[in-house]
Amino acid sequence: MIIIGENIHVIARAVSTAIAERDAKVIQDLARAQAEAGADYIDLNVGPLRKDPEDIMRWLVNTVQEATNLPLSLDTMNPVAMEAGLEVCKTKPLLNSASGKTDSKEQMLPLAKKHNCDVIISVINDRGMPPDVELKVDSIMDTVAYANELGIPNEDIWVDPIVLPVSTAGEGQGFAKSSLEFIGILADLLPGVKSTVGLSNVSNGVPAELRPILNRTYLVMLQRNGLYSAIADPSDKELIGLVRGKLPGIVELIHKTMDGEEVDFSSLSSREADYVKTARVFLGDTLYSDAWLES
Amino acid sequence: MEYRPPVEAYSGTVREETIGKGGMALKIGGENILPFHFFDEGSNPNPPKFALEILDVEPAGWPEHLTEPFGDSLSDTVNWARKCEALGADAVFLRLVSTDPAVADSSSDDAAALTRKVAESIGIPLIVYGSGDDKKDAELLPKVAEICDGMSLLIGPVVKENYQVVGKTILDHGHKISAQTPLDINLLKELNVKLSHFCPAESIVIDPQSAALGYGMEYTFSLMERVKQLGVIVKDSMTQMPMIADFGTECWKTKQAMESKEQGLLWEGITALSLLLAGANILVLRHPETLRLVKEMMEVT
Repeated sequence: MIIIGENIHVIARAVSTAIAERDAKVIQDLARAQAEAGADYIDLNVGPLRKDPEDIMRWLVNTVQEATNLPLSLDTMNPVAMEAGLEVCKTKPLLNSASGKTDSKEQMLPLAKKHNCDVIISVINDRGMPPDVELKVDSIMDTVAYANELGIPNEDIWVDPIVLPVSTAGEGQGFAKSSLEFIGILADLLPGVKSTVGLSNVSNGVPAELRPILNRTYLVMLQRNGLYSAIADPSDKELIGLVRGKLPGIVELIHKTMDGEEVDFSSLSSREADYVKTARVFLGDTLYSDAWLES
Repeated sequence: MEYRPPVEAYSGTVREETIGKGGMALKIGGENILPFHFFDEGSNPNPPKFALEILDVEPAGWPEHLTEPFGDSLSDTVNWARKCEALGADAVFLRLVSTDPAVADSSSDDAAALTRKVAESIGIPLIVYGSGDDKKDAELLPKVAEICDGMSLLIGPVVKENYQVVGKTILDHGHKISAQTPLDINLLKELNVKLSHFCPAESIVIDPQSAALGYGMEYTFSLMERVKQLGVIVKDSMTQMPMIADFGTECWKTKQAMESKEQGLLWEGITALSLLLAGANILVLRHPETLRLVKEMMEVT
């Protein structure tokens, strides 16, 4: 599992301040910490960058490249900033992200071709976020065909099914399940493409102490269905351990739950039971509530 | 080829719960089919029940076509309750509106004493609700539960903000808990899970909050439908409680209901019929003619 470290994120106050003050140390410390924790890429999420997009992106890319040799994932909706960043990357970067929306097809995908980089393409299109598997398939087939015509090969495309908060009343669980199913059929649909998700969004809106187990369980389930990479927090040791073979017992338990095998709760530790209960939430076997571990 | 109608059989059963005791006990829930799916395997042993709503003060601002059927009884809560019984209600729903700090902030002790008097004066079960001010209700509802010890009332609204304070007392005095959440299925389940840590699930009734036709009723409809499906089809034990639909107040607030009797009866009646189809087990109405109308329609089934 390729992990794209998500911790250089403009929503974090420390990061936005460091960017505004061009404080290289804060950014480099975050980059190094993620590299040491096992990240394969460093994501630079800078938002829309309305002011000085080119200067800031160039500075950020150069600053991080001084601290680590890891490839970068450039995460901005601003095509001007994106291009400035792509130009100064030393290793083949990841353009994060394009979609089937008209302006993204016209602005982001040509950039990916021009710089021969990898590109995340999400299932979003002009009609919004497709909620079910069929609509996700329709959307991604169209957008990938468009990218292929531009000369971007499947091997450079990382498909993102879009992950939404599981706690969203009524729809969250259905969405989590359809993204899981979508990842499961992707290799047959589009041979050669890779895949990724913005993992932490699945637990958005959930009390902070309960978020890690949602992220971890969902990633194990996605990995089983063939997910190639995730934008996630590499400092979560248990998360990394789970997807890199360090906790095979828990992984096996989650797989059994996915297969619908009966689980004898009396034989499980409370930590194991929590993983089973969480997997059942993602499978839609039990209705989500913030008290899902308590019953 | 011979046509065979598809028949479903589900494995989940809604909990059967009792409000009131002795000869007046009223059973709700207990079904193992979806609402009105009499063509499927299973049954609903307890058809939906209907309560008429009364207030702890003489109503202000009600149109004449709503006050008229109750006559003089409106000036005295006990008489009003008796009138509802005479008009054929299955239960009386007493709303202690005057306790609301934003209305009259009347004393919790007085309201609790009045509740007991009403419960003693009628031969049908009593459902009692505070004003919905969660802080005042946290003081009021335990007093109501205590003074009406052993009378098996349904007491609410018990909400996320006060369930820890009021839930146990309601239970200890032999009553049922009406657990209310703001039109959200995840929050609804969470409150039931939290309550069931110290209250048996058999003592909880779900109040998902009900809106009137044209004013958001479809949200209540979808929510109730989902709760019932999860309980009956998926067997989620935390959604297998019977549901109360409390919408009379909402219906009679609408411009349409205020304008004319015909519109008011239709507004309340169509809301009732819709929520019956969604799976409500006990419905709270205001107008006795709506009660008659809906009961007549139910007899057709």
